[in-house]
Amino acid sequence: MSVCTKMPYRKKLVAKTSCAAAMLLGALSLGISPSFAQDFPEGNISVTIPTGEGGGADRDARSFAQVWNKYLPRNVEFSYYPGAAGQVGYEFYMRGDASPSNLLFSNIGPEVIMLELQDVPVEIGEDIVYIQKTSTEPMAIWVGANSPFETLEQLIEEAKTRPVTISVSRLPHPATIGMLALGEATGAEFNLIPFGGGNPTAMAAITGEVDASALPLANPITFGEEARVLGIFADENPVPDQTNDAPTVNEVAGTDLPPLTSSRAWAVQADAIAENPELIEILKQTMRQTLEDPEYIEAVRASGVPAEFIDPGNQEEAMQEAAETRELAIQYRDLLTGE
Amino acid sequence: MLYELDTLAGLIGHAFSLWWIMIPAIAVGLVAGAVPGFAAHNTIIILLPLTLALDVEVALVFMVALYCASHLGGGVPAILVNIPGTGGAAATTLDGYPMTKKGQAVRALALCFVASVLGGLISAIVTLFALPVLSQVGYYIHSVELVVVMLFGLALIASIAAKDMLKGLIAGAFGLMLGAMGADHIYATPRGTFGFLELFDGVPLVPALIGLFAISEAFVMLEQKTVVSDSDRPTAPPSWGESSREIFNAFRHWWQITWTAILGLVIGVLPGAGASIASFVAYQQSQFFSKTPELFGTGHPQGVIAPESANNGVTTGTLVPLLAIGVPGGSTAAVMMIVLQFHGVPFGPRLFVEQPELAYGVIAAMAVSYILMIPFMFPMVRYMSRVTVISTVYLAPFIVAFTLVGAFVPRGFLFDMSVAVAFGIIGYVARKTGYHVAAILIGVILGPLIERSFLLAMRISNNDPMVLFSSNIGNLLWVLLVLSLALPPATSWWRRRGERTNEIQKGFGDEPR
Repeated sequence: MSVCTKMPYRKKLVAKTSCAAAMLLGALSLGISPSFAQDFPEGNISVTIPTGEGGGADRDARSFAQVWNKYLPRNVEFSYYPGAAGQVGYEFYMRGDASPSNLLFSNIGPEVIMLELQDVPVEIGEDIVYIQKTSTEPMAIWVGANSPFETLEQLIEEAKTRPVTISVSRLPHPATIGMLALGEATGAEFNLIPFGGGNPTAMAAITGEVDASALPLANPITFGEEARVLGIFADENPVPDQTNDAPTVNEVAGTDLPPLTSSRAWAVQADAIAENPELIEILKQTMRQTLEDPEYIEAVRASGVPAEFIDPGNQEEAMQEAAETRELAIQYRDLLTGE
Repeated sequence: MLYELDTLAGLIGHAFSLWWIMIPAIAVGLVAGAVPGFAAHNTIIILLPLTLALDVEVALVFMVALYCASHLGGGVPAILVNIPGTGGAAATTLDGYPMTKKGQAVRALALCFVASVLGGLISAIVTLFALPVLSQVGYYIHSVELVVVMLFGLALIASIAAKDMLKGLIAGAFGLMLGAMGADHIYATPRGTFGFLELFDGVPLVPALIGLFAISEAFVMLEQKTVVSDSDRPTAPPSWGESSREIFNAFRHWWQITWTAILGLVIGVLPGAGASIASFVAYQQSQFFSKTPELFGTGHPQGVIAPESANNGVTTGTLVPLLAIGVPGGSTAAVMMIVLQFHGVPFGPRLFVEQPELAYGVIAAMAVSYILMIPFMFPMVRYMSRVTVISTVYLAPFIVAFTLVGAFVPRGFLFDMSVAVAFGIIGYVARKTGYHVAAILIGVILGPLIERSFLLAMRISNNDPMVLFSSNIGNLLWVLLVLSLALPPATSWWRRRGERTNEIQKGFGDEPR
């Protein structure tokens, strides 16, 4: 397994030294250099992650990068810019070069909502383009193993008698929209508590500080027996065997909510596409090869994420999802911003 | 639960067999902890390409040894040059540096190392036996209780301000105000960022720490020849015998080390808490229980022991949520989770079912890494104290240059170097005008943490302020907080009143009949 692609750095100064060492390691261990990738500029690929290290985006970007190196043998240098629901990361990313070697690893759902709701001078399509999805997962409602709620019906019924507390990662998030839409459709009252990140959000549900949590489905799955999935915001459960055959929210509540998903995707600055279309094509091609590689599928599984979530959606599909998410954000703007 | 002694012995023995990776990790950790800006978390990230290449067990052992050593290293510059290497060592400056100024650097270093090593070792051993119990702490301590725990730390401002209450409180309030900068926790609305994107995530702690302590201290240093006055300056390095004697003498404080380490361990287990809070709370509580509270802040050994023991107690505590529940309790644990995920190792309860030897082995490795730090103490105590005799003409520029790089490292922003300089000027003015920089820093560190927990508690309760008094544990903590704030002045008043009564009675007795 290659090592050189796993290079998380905030510190570019130190990173360059470590990169060189890791590159040597990689070259020694792999010795692979696909010919078409030779046209790609030498030097590191810089990846901005608009959330903190150790989170879901970090996990998924690393799983991807370790295999991607087979097809595009360049070192990957990660930078983390959490803050203001991802705004800091997007703005810092735009300050960088419009180059095919400068990428953003994004979480389309929450970040498009954030861009729509917050005063961010970044436009999807005009400034940033999502060029390749890597995974898509639905949002889920889940509780800790010790929770008294066994089913989603119980949770909804309780929420009709009192405000039920739901931990969410942040307010601008598809899971938040799902809970608000569910409350609106059923008359249940959900009190959404943004804990600022997947880990503290999950902790609040597991330890019983809140009644339940709404997060992307991979989160409760990675917590194994500590979590019980009650419902999924999708047309069907993509991983019934890993969620104890949890029902969809629409099945339980008799609602007609749209599927609420979020995709991880690679993005570049729009100017980079205009200036270097052939290099962006190399990026896309090698990314697609990575997504089809059994080694990548194994790496995803090893990280605790179901392989069923792998989604090789292309640029068109990724931008379509971004547009649909933006519509949702506009629809629920008042509830999400507290205005 | 790990009751079988042979199992424990096996784990410890196996951990010792990994000495070859622990010793370099300890060396790196000591340096990383001593250099402001690096710390364990950043260093582990930098070294991830190495740790990901290692076997998962070896990688974890390397990381925990480095993590533990960095907490020990953080106290060194706090004592010698009034510059805490990490936020967790900020409280160490309160008494460590005054000891150095009095020519007691060797003693202060010995206390720091013994408190760190013994405190870390005790907390690791307690964790080995009580991991299932400790893992339950998170189920009972939520946002409400965390608010009160952090208020214990904030109460330290009042202690610091004892000599000049008005200036102390102004400094603390100023720190809290700075800590309120950044995007708010609920709606991510920027507050007081002056349009700087770099401040959206709040005032960066490391540059603030470096500015308030390191740069302002460097400015002050330039006004004198050496850190210690000529009369207190040692003419020769301490002998091995003297260094060893100080180390052995430090062990006499075993009881304070034990209880502050356990306090640190429990605080470390709490999500959202960490070494800074633990060391402030331990310092505040040590002062409360001390027979000589008036000596705190003047170079009192207990004031060095408390924060150092507590912040090393935290090291094991932060791993408990990751190992027991599967959720990292802090940033260092989050990076360790990456390594576990990379190798496909399950974490949380599954780790104990599928690879219990790895779960308990990590804690055993922490205990062993603290044991392996013992030989490091002797040369460090002997030679590091010599820093204080270096001329400030060389020392001050070195500190400024070195720490400015440290300010840059955590986020990679040049802006953060400007923040460090700005805080350096604030710190210098504060020192010159009698405002305590530690009070400002406590506000900067604890302000955002308290605000977050407070907002979460309020939002969970639909903005009912009575939620702060809604839990039994929370209410017990409130009572203890009130007692720890009210008892010292009350007992002091009672003592003065007794002395006055005695004087009056003595006066009557002395009157000629």
